[in-house]
Amino acid sequence: MNTILNRAGRNFLLRHPWQLALALLGITLGVAVVIAIDLALDSALQSFKQVEQTVSGKATHRIAGGEGGLDEALYRKLRVEHGIRNLAPVLQTYLPIQQNPKIKLRVIGIDPFAENAFRSGWQSGQDGAQAAIRLVAEANTAIIGRQTAEALGLSIGDELIVATGTGDRRLRIVDLIAPASAVAAEALSNIVIADISTVQEITGWFGRLSHIDVIIPETDPHKVQARLADILPGDVSLVSIATQFESMQQMTEAFSINLSAMGLLSLLVGMFLIYNTMTFLVLQRRGLIGNLRLIGVTRRQISRMILTEALILAAIGTMLGIGLGLLLGQVMLQPVTATVDTLYFRVDRLSLSVSPLQIGKAVLLGIGATLLAVIPPLREANRFSPKHALTRSQLESGSRRLSRSILLLGILLIAAGFAIGFLSETSIKLGLASVFLLLFGFALLTPATTLAVMSCVETLSGRLFGILGKLPPRMVGAEISRTGVAIAALMIAVAATIGMNLMIDSFRVTVAQWLNTTLQADLYVSIAGDKTARDKAVKDRQLKAIIAELAEVDQVSTVLHTQVVADDMPVKVSAFELTEASKNGFVFKQAFDTGLWRAFEEQETVIVTEPYAYHNKVKAGDTIALQTAKGLQDFKILGIYYDYSGDRGRLAMSRTQYLRYWPDLGYTGIGVYGVAGSDLNVLESRLRDRLPQALDLKSSRAIFDASMQVFNETFLITETLRWLAAGIAFVGVFGSLMALQFERTRQLGILRAIGMTPGQLTGLICAETGLMGLTAGLIAIPVGLLVAYVLIYIVYLRSFGWTMTFHLNPTMLIQGLLLAVFAALLAGILPAYRMARTRPAEALRAE
Amino acid sequence: MTPANNFIEIDGLTKNYRETGRPVTIFDNLSLSVKRGELLVLLGRSGSGKSTLLNLLGGIDRPDSGRIVIDGIELTSLSEHRRTLFRRHHIGFVFQSYQLIPTLTVMDNLLLPLELIQPTGKAGRNKAAELLNNLDLSDRLDTYPDRLSGGEQQRVAIARALIHDPLLVLADEPTGNLDLQTGQQVMSLLDKLVRQSGKTLILATHSREVMGIADRILTIRDHSLIETDD
Ligand SMILES: Nc1ncnc2c1ncn2[C@@H]1O[C@H](COP(=O)(O)OP(=O)(O)O)[C@@H](O)[C@H]1O
Ligand SMILES: [Mg+2]
Repeated sequence: MNTILNRAGRNFLLRHPWQLALALLGITLGVAVVIAIDLALDSALQSFKQVEQTVSGKATHRIAGGEGGLDEALYRKLRVEHGIRNLAPVLQTYLPIQQNPKIKLRVIGIDPFAENAFRSGWQSGQDGAQAAIRLVAEANTAIIGRQTAEALGLSIGDELIVATGTGDRRLRIVDLIAPASAVAAEALSNIVIADISTVQEITGWFGRLSHIDVIIPETDPHKVQARLADILPGDVSLVSIATQFESMQQMTEAFSINLSAMGLLSLLVGMFLIYNTMTFLVLQRRGLIGNLRLIGVTRRQISRMILTEALILAAIGTMLGIGLGLLLGQVMLQPVTATVDTLYFRVDRLSLSVSPLQIGKAVLLGIGATLLAVIPPLREANRFSPKHALTRSQLESGSRRLSRSILLLGILLIAAGFAIGFLSETSIKLGLASVFLLLFGFALLTPATTLAVMSCVETLSGRLFGILGKLPPRMVGAEISRTGVAIAALMIAVAATIGMNLMIDSFRVTVAQWLNTTLQADLYVSIAGDKTARDKAVKDRQLKAIIAELAEVDQVSTVLHTQVVADDMPVKVSAFELTEASKNGFVFKQAFDTGLWRAFEEQETVIVTEPYAYHNKVKAGDTIALQTAKGLQDFKILGIYYDYSGDRGRLAMSRTQYLRYWPDLGYTGIGVYGVAGSDLNVLESRLRDRLPQALDLKSSRAIFDASMQVFNETFLITETLRWLAAGIAFVGVFGSLMALQFERTRQLGILRAIGMTPGQLTGLICAETGLMGLTAGLIAIPVGLLVAYVLIYIVYLRSFGWTMTFHLNPTMLIQGLLLAVFAALLAGILPAYRMARTRPAEALRAE
Repeated sequence: MTPANNFIEIDGLTKNYRETGRPVTIFDNLSLSVKRGELLVLLGRSGSGKSTLLNLLGGIDRPDSGRIVIDGIELTSLSEHRRTLFRRHHIGFVFQSYQLIPTLTVMDNLLLPLELIQPTGKAGRNKAAELLNNLDLSDRLDTYPDRLSGGEQQRVAIARALIHDPLLVLADEPTGNLDLQTGQQVMSLLDKLVRQSGKTLILATHSREVMGIADRILTIRDHSLIETDD
């Protein structure tokens, strides 16, 4: 029995390949986008983790100082005086190589003999001892991964030429690492391993270490930890590697959640496609289903037939989606990693890693979404009574009844959206949930709103164009169960687009204003380079003196961006030497206190950025305990200032205060203020003459432009994803219009029979779809504004701690409206064309 | 051959349908002439091609070959657009299953064919109201079709077919969905109105009861027409 039933169903399905393809497309694209985002994000983190694990092997903890690194003496002290075992000193840097200037190699200096217990990835599958001896015994030797060597066209005995601050240096390759596993091989790409003294020599950082890896045995971790804590100076911290990974994950959490939300948006819109197809198939078969019920097929059997179809669709769609998702993930990996790299931490390697868990998640999502989308049509199918197959108009009156409960549900969802948005305090996920609830809630109001809009339009168009004018709004209103869903889907996509556009635009304007305020100097010299270098501070001071002496220069300010430690976690800090002008570059959240800058210079105080205050829940007047070489030191927070340069936040203190507790690491940047009325171009060329070539000199204009460029790149993925979601919505609208016109083939046939020309018919259908687009656009404008509001004041504030000023750009609203109308018109063209081409006699024969 | 002043001339009409690749012949070299004001009844078994012939006459389908001339205009040589305009002005259709526009009221269903020709104001409404009055539907002007009984719907459909004063009315089994009594009622109304205005009517049916009103009876058999004398 069931096989016959299924065959009856299937035969019908296969007669409608279009609808089938669209439903598949919905599932496929939705699943693909979700899995692609998941993969790309996870891979960025995993890449980081794998590289670290391959390099540090079995290390459980890491002893690290600020960016100045550690004194080698500490290592000796721990090892010799305190007899602590399982320590591995590391000195690492990134250096460009002559063979391929585009890439920088990570040069890692290690103590080959100390490393044995660590079983780092570079030792695996090697005659480790032999290589280790050569690294130590022979000067300027290194080993690199086989893959990297092949990529660079090098082999054993060849020389690697690296560019250092003190000129080109040659490293002779004495061995190639050929790790057993592919993962390890990947992780080791672009890594050079050398003896620590070799690295110290080529960089000139004698006596310095980047950090010390430690294995703390699991048997009694606390004892060792306590002992180490006693010995280590105050500004040196012992951090567990696991904690470090965790905090990395936390750092990117907001970014991840926001991206994933875009994926879910695509899936939501994709669900609409499935709903649409299944409803179409059920409605089209109301005759068949009625007949089946008449001959004794039970409701349960009908349900099973429809569910089977849906599950087959879901299975195929999900499989295709996973395949496409892998491809898409590969494409997205680059931009996602680039963003993680700019905003959070350095990612050295790009490769997609896929876990069974992720595949499982995709399968669940694909099938779950399909089942959800098939519930309404399933209920519809069970309403068909065996006595008579319901006619369309009966169905419509049923759905009008339904629309009252839908209206209520919509209002409920919107209320819930507001409540969750405003009452949940810091949760990003709940903030986004509020956006989704609002979008969905308003989507449910769409049918009722559409009916209202249509009756207004009808009054107007009826007066203008008579009966012909009444037809399009009537057609939209009469089949609201179908048209309403298409309008709702389009509305969601357009409202999301408007909301995101307004948010990004507000953000852009805010950042631009901030940059304009903060970039007070005329020119900026940025001093790159590793802060580990011993004579950096001296050289930087000389540089500053040279600049200050120039006749065209009025004043100079300096900044050092580095890290200090609080609660055993690194904290970004900027040490400023401010001029009067540069003080104007800070805009504080609270009313400005005239005594602030004095206290800033003279006392143990800091000012903190807005994200710092948000994430650490501190306010002006609080104190922060920072770890210094002399022990813990409290710093009082004088104020909170706006800063959009990073989302984890930073502290700022005066250079004077900084130098009281931390070593001088020179400067990161020098701000140059020309004398009043001086020509900036002259100043710039004078500076270029005097400064070393390698230094980066930029006007504040150039920095402004570069920053905005970074801003745009950061939003590239978000923007791409948004268009993807809009694309899926478009396909959905297209599919539902196809279905709609198909269903009313006969009605259109009558119109042709009584004398409507193909052109008029096309006009009619276009007017109808145009009206649908217009309605979607009109509803999307207020909803989009609301979404923007929630995104700015709830989601983004919670994600990143930034306050943005709402910038209402009317163009974005008009764009949204046009987008809706054009999308609907475009989606209507093909069905209109098909209907206009169909012979009336043929159309009249349609069921 | 038939004189040139005939209202309808069909000449050498051939029509095939392609059902799963294999062509099925409906008409083979069919010819017919009809005089102005004639009431013609078309008989034939279900599937014999009655609807097809009416569709061809109304220009909503095209033959494979042959000529159809109505009132001196060669329908078969007109473009799709011109054919539609011809239909708009000169043809009225009545179908078995009424085929009213469900989203328009009775009044609007009647006004639609008029407004396709040109915008009508009050004059059109008056005309429609009068016609509906004749059909005993004056209290249903603002009702939607799905609230009407079958007989009422078919009367509205008749009004729609006549409102623009077509030269030719094509009725395809107009009583097929109605019970006997209602059917007879509808039929006599149709007969009355058509005769009153001197229009030509071609009526397809497979029930022999309507034959009484016919001027001429034709039967489709073996892909061509046979004249039947009562
Ligand atoms: N569009 C079509 N495609 C294929 N076959 C058709 C089509 N229209 C009608 N037919 C076939 O042509 C024959 C005549 O149909 P029709 O004119 O509707 O007959 P009648 O109205 O006399 O019952 C039937 O066998 C029908 O199946
Ligand atoms: Mg027929």
